[in-house]
Formats: sequence, structure tokens, C-alpha cells
Amino acid sequence: MENAEGACFHCGEPIPEGTSLFVQRDGQDRPVCCSGCQAVAELIFSSGLGRYYQFRQDLGRKAEEDLQKDLEAWRGCDDRESLWGAELAEGRRELLLQTEGIRCAACAWLIRSHMETRPGVQSVQVDTATGYTRIIWNPEKYTLSRLAGALMELGYKPHLPLASAEEQGRQEERRNSMKRLGVAGLGMMQVMMYAVGLYAGDAFGIGVAERSFLEWVSLMVTLPVLIYSGRIYFEGAWRSIRAGRPGMDVPVALAISLAFIASCYNFFRGAGEVWFDSVVMFIFFLSLGRHIEMMLRHRNLQAGTALARLLPEWAERITEAGRETIPASDLVDGDHVLVRVGESFPADGVLKDGSTDVDEALLTGESRAVNRRVGDAIIAGTINLSQPVEIEVTASGQETTISSLGRLLLLAQSKRPSTSAIPSWLVPVFIIAVLFIAGGTWLGWQFVDPDRAFSAMLSVLVASCPCALSLALPVVYAAASRRLLDDGVLLTRGEALQALTHVSNVVFDKTGTLTRGTPEITRVEINPVRTSYDEKQVLQIAAALESASAHPIARAFQLAGDDAHEGTSLKANNVAVYSALGLKGVINGSEWKIGSAGFVTPGADTAGDDHIWLSDEAGWVACFQLQDSLREDAENCIRELVDDGLRITMLSGDSTDAVDRIADRLHIADRHARQTPEMKLAKLEQMRASGSHVLMVGDGVNDAPILAAADVSMTVKGGAELANSAADMILTSDSLSLVNRAMETARRTRQLVRQNLTWAVLYNASVMPLAISGMLKPWMAALGMSLSSLLVVANASRLVRREQAGKPSGQPQQNKVEPV
Amino acid sequence: MNMLYVLIPLALLLLAFAAWALIWAIRTGQFDDLESHGWSVVLDDDQKPPPETEEEKESKERKS
Repeated sequence: MENAEGACFHCGEPIPEGTSLFVQRDGQDRPVCCSGCQAVAELIFSSGLGRYYQFRQDLGRKAEEDLQKDLEAWRGCDDRESLWGAELAEGRRELLLQTEGIRCAACAWLIRSHMETRPGVQSVQVDTATGYTRIIWNPEKYTLSRLAGALMELGYKPHLPLASAEEQGRQEERRNSMKRLGVAGLGMMQVMMYAVGLYAGDAFGIGVAERSFLEWVSLMVTLPVLIYSGRIYFEGAWRSIRAGRPGMDVPVALAISLAFIASCYNFFRGAGEVWFDSVVMFIFFLSLGRHIEMMLRHRNLQAGTALARLLPEWAERITEAGRETIPASDLVDGDHVLVRVGESFPADGVLKDGSTDVDEALLTGESRAVNRRVGDAIIAGTINLSQPVEIEVTASGQETTISSLGRLLLLAQSKRPSTSAIPSWLVPVFIIAVLFIAGGTWLGWQFVDPDRAFSAMLSVLVASCPCALSLALPVVYAAASRRLLDDGVLLTRGEALQALTHVSNVVFDKTGTLTRGTPEITRVEINPVRTSYDEKQVLQIAAALESASAHPIARAFQLAGDDAHEGTSLKANNVAVYSALGLKGVINGSEWKIGSAGFVTPGADTAGDDHIWLSDEAGWVACFQLQDSLREDAENCIRELVDDGLRITMLSGDSTDAVDRIADRLHIADRHARQTPEMKLAKLEQMRASGSHVLMVGDGVNDAPILAAADVSMTVKGGAELANSAADMILTSDSLSLVNRAMETARRTRQLVRQNLTWAVLYNASVMPLAISGMLKPWMAALGMSLSSLLVVANASRLVRREQAGKPSGQPQQNKVEPV
Repeated sequence: MNMLYVLIPLALLLLAFAAWALIWAIRTGQFDDLESHGWSVVLDDDQKPPPETEEEKESKERKS
């Protein structure tokens, strides 16, 4: 993959001005962006793995410049046996590490080649789709930290092996399903072959001895398939009966066991038909359908767990002996933890020392930082913005506020896509009806032709199996949520897709939804008596002062300062941060202050909340107005929604001025400013009462009741991530065009659901009379049933495949369906 | 037709072997990653530096 001019050879990021770092390759100097990437590239070349660059399909991950701190933390865990992975024979361990930065098959090769030369490492496997690296190693010959170090040297980031148990379980499930499928497939091929002989014998004549030999062989092959691959259907049927809710597995188990027993009976008495071929074929196609369904489900889960990483992995604990870095999950109540500027808090706690600004956007969706002082409660996952502080832990790991809310979110995600079109009470009724019809068929045939009674009853049982019908909805929803996830939309409630197609009104929140929720400088006013300064100069001064801060407002100044930059850059010295007030610093020998009116010039007229003042020793120089900036694709999003015939409404708690400014740019006529949550709710209910179906797009916690009350709701990234539990869909990337994409996917989904349901109902309805009348042989019924389920699954997977065709060619094709 | 009594049991033996081989392959994880191994044909160099020894590793760590 070739890199653009001025981009890093390894990671492809632009090379910062003034950096001149290179790696030597083929006598040429290749520029890199930082010493981290340089070290990685040099290591790759010197180990003879340079072909990675030739064959990779995606750029590398930007490397950390300083590995020592991470390595130090890993070293602290070397002695923990619980982190070494599952125990194998001869002291070896199987470790599963989730690794950041694995992007294509070349990465997998690079990791394998590099890691397998380490002493004590026996084999390494990399799953590019999920980012898991599986290492079989001997902890006595190589330490955990070196293992992690070897991955870090290559520019990848391993995570602590804590959540790998789930993945281990999923892998086990995948392997078991594959084994069952393989055994059933092999068995089916054999039995079908003997069946051809038997059918040919029926037509052209066959000796009694040969006939019974072929039947005997069929029995010998069917038995292991029935026991090995068919077991789950018996178990499923038994479970559902014991729970008092007979499920789809009951007629399946009944059909295969009856067919098998009757075939054995006929074989041993030496007269009548055998149906071994029908039994294995039925098992094989059912297993195939289940396998595909499971693969789709696993894909969704994997992407979901990656999003759930909200807490930092490591914490710096303060002990009497000094500081040590430990896994955050090891913290216990009462520990004291140091949190540096820009880091997020590893546990819930109480502030013990210092005062700082905290970004709680994770919880509240409010971008403005909150000041926290000694004794204030701190919530894990929020970000420390201005001062290094010490907290005393009050809750850690799974007990933290964020984890418990995160669990709720995961719970909502893992709920299986709802099959709301088939109410749950209907299933047992349906099953009982099928059993009655099957019994009736047998009874009826007793009067007509007792010899064919059993065969007809079997056909009814097999043909009625509503596999296609029961798969029709879940597979489409699984495929749709997969597709949405690839686009960046996390679906938490399956029904939402259905509801989305009925939507007639879209209600937007303003702050944080249509706008970014981060401030932008919209107006600069110079003090009329200080005209020696122009706009650019004051912006540069402000940027120099703010460059020390990580506050969202400081970001706005830093961006504006970059624009006003004219070769010479100013530097502020002795900068002091006054939490929630402003900053003070020395530029070119004179002292400057920037911040709120009260802080800068005590006694100045306070013009409002969003004004920031800049002053030197002689008085105020400039005044900045900061406003929320519009999301780039907001206009497009609204236009497309209007083109689709939807009515747009904007509800905001903000002032009329600010609302008008945004609404005018987006051409939204229906706008309401100064709305309290109760008023928003009333508006929404009014809309719904007049027959509209409402989609609500919002963010923060204050939107939660409205999100929950709307027919469908979406939250935007950067909003209160945990208010998301009230939302049906979560937009995980920073783009409003996802709203349009979700609408389109929903429409496609509805179309596919209709196709699938129509097909399944038509098929079952048309095949039933044939089965009752005995025209359908059991093997035909099994084949037809299986093919119709496969058709439904294939139809659903069109949703996923179409999206892949549209991907740019440079992207790795991660989501290929594995051949089964 | 007597051949049937030899050939079919033979086929069954082969079948049993195939089933065992398949299960063994799945259990040892050979179906877990179907992508990257294909790449090693084009990517693997014939010459690789000798594996790092313990002493080299330690001297490197001391340096950094």
C-alpha cells in the first residue's frame, strides 16, 4: 500500500512540521512521524519481515512513543497465574489477548512470524476479524510482560486478558457447531449414496441380501449422526417441554426419532420402507441453518464487546512504598489512586487531594467541564482535565456506576432479535396443532391404506416444521443489525427497525445532536480603546495561553490560534490554571489573563455565560463569543429526510437566538426554543396523539425520557453514552448521515422480512395438503423444508453482502462468511 | 456383487477416518483463521534471523 506524500511510512498519519525521522529501506529514506513508528519499522525490517509493507491492505496503527510505562505495568502482572490463560499439558498455557491495531492478514502474518521466534512460544494464531491473538506458550521460559512487549514492539496494543472467557466460550460453541455440521454432512453423503442404490433397486430389482445389507449400512451410519449431531434437538426439545413451553425442537425431535425407530423396526422385520436418508438429511440441513444463524449472532456480539471498553485498564496506586501501576480491576475500596491530566478515572471515588475540572460527558452528555473539589464524588470513566489529583476508591471494577449501567446496555444488546410477528403464545399452539394433524393423518390413513399411514404422518411432521418461518425474522434482523454495526449504528432493540419504517416525523435535539456540543469562536470583539491589537494577534495570544489546558474551550482557542498562525508562534510562560475561572500567564514579558469576566477584570460588566475575556495588566483587550458549531453533515441529513417526505421538528432547551441561528441554516421551520424536558415530552405526545410516528434523535441524560417515549429513538456519539440505554439505536461515529443510512437499512429490512415471511407461509401452507394426502415422501419433505430455510437465510444475508461490495478496495475484507 | 461386501466396509473405514480427521482439525483450531495462513506463501522469507536468545534480550532491555 503506497502512502501519500508527507505521510508516515508506517501509520500514514501526516508528519508533524519540524520532524525529520527516517527509516532506511532499499537505500532510500522513508519518512516517519514519530520515534514510536520509527522503532516499529526498524524492527520489522531488521527481523526480515519487511514484506509486510508490500502486502498489507491497510496502514499500521500509530505506535506509542514510550513503551516503558506500559511495559512496567505489564511487568507487575508477570506473577499472576490467573492472567496466563488456560492450562495445557507440560506447563504450557493458552492465552487469548485482545489486541488493538490488527487490520489485515498481513498484520496476522507479521505477529505470527515475530512472536513464534520468541523462546517459549509454541504457536500463535491471529483472528483478524475479531482482533484476538491466541498464544500457546510456556510461562516459565517467557514472561507475560515480554509477550505483551513483543506485541507492543510491533506497534500493536494488547489488552489485559480479562474478558477472554466469553470469547473462549463462543469459540467453543463455534467449534462444536462446526463439528456437528461436518459429521452430519459426511454421514448424509454416505447414506444418500446407499439410498440411491435402494431406490434403483426398487425400480430395477435388487436381491434380498443386498437390500438388507445396504439398509444395515445406512443404519450404522445414521446412528452416530443421530447421536452426535442430532443430540442438541433432543436436548432442546426436552428443555422446552420441561419448561412447559414446547418449542420448535419438539416436532423436529419427534420426527427424527420416529423416523429412525420405524426404520429400524422395518429393517429388523425385513419388510417395508426405511427412511434413514431422510433422517440424516433433516439433521444436516437443520444444523446448517443453526450454524449460519449462530455465526451472524456472534459477529454482532463481538462488535458489541469492543464498544463496552469504557474504563481504563491500568491505575496508578499510591502506597506507602511509593507508586505502582496495577490493573484497574485489582483496586479495592480505600485505595488511593493518582490520576494524571487527560486520563480517565479508573474507579468511583472521593477526591482526596487537589481540585480539578472533570469531563463527565460520558454520563451527562454535557461538554462543559464540571469543577470537583476535595470531598466531591468522582465517577469512573470520566476524564480529569486540569490538575493531577488523588482519589480514594469507593467502588471499583464491576461495582462502579458505569459498569452497572454498561451491563444494562449490554443486556439490551444481547437480547435476541425479537420475532414479534409471531407472538410467543402462538408457538405452543402451533406445535400442538401440528401434532394433532400428524396423529389425524395416521388415523385417517388407517382406513385407506394402513401401509402408508406412517410415511404420511412422518411427512406431515417434517413438512410442518416451521423452520423457515421461525428463521425468517431473526436472520433478517441479525443481518440488519450486523449491517448497521458496520455502518456505525448499534441496534439495541430489534423491533426498532420495524418501527423506523413507519416514522413520519423526526424530532431533533439541538445541542450535541445537530451541533457538535463543543464550542467554537464565532465573534471576536476588540476593546475600542486598545486598537493596537488586531483580531489575529489576540487569537494568537489566547491560543498561547490556552495551549496548556485540555478544557473544551481551550480546544476552540487552539484551533482558532492555528488558523491565525503567521510563522511566528507565541509562547506563554508561567501559566497557572484557575479551575472553573480561567488561566494566567506571561507572554513577551507582560502578564495576561483569560477567562470569565469576573476573573479577568473584577467589576467588569458580565455580558453573559459564553463570553470569554482577555486582558493584560492595563485592562481588557478583547472579548470572544463562543458558540456551538453545527455538525458538518447536518444539512445533508435534514435535506435527505425532507426529500423522503418526513416532517422535521427541532426541540431545544437553548435560547431563542441560538435555536433560530441553527434552524435557519438547516431550513427547519418547526422549531421550539426554551423547552424543558416536560414540555418536550408534551410536544411529543401531542404529535403521537395526532397519529404521527416519531423518531427522536438526541443525546444527554435530559433527553432520556423523550427518547424512551418516542416510537424510535437514536442517540449520537459523544452524547451521554449511558443515556443510550434508553435509546433503540446508538450512532457510534460522529456523523449524522447515519440517520439516513439507518432509515434505508430499515426499509430494506422490511422488504426482506416481507419476502421471507411470504415465502415461509406459502411454502408451509402449500406443502401440508400434499403431505397429508401422502403424495409427499418424507425425504422430499425434508429436502424441501431444508432448502426453504436455506433460501430464507440466503435472502437475509443479501443485506450484509451488498454492503461489502460498496466498501473501498483498500479496506480489509473482515466480514467474509466462512465457508461451511 | 460380492465386491460390495468388501468395498462398502472399506468406504465406512474411510468415512470414520474422515470424520476423525475433521474433528481433529476443528479441535486444534485449523478452521479458526482461514485468512492469514494463505498469505504466508507470499510473505514468508526463506531467511530469517535466528531467534533471539535470552542474553540478547536482556542486553537490549538494559540498553533501553
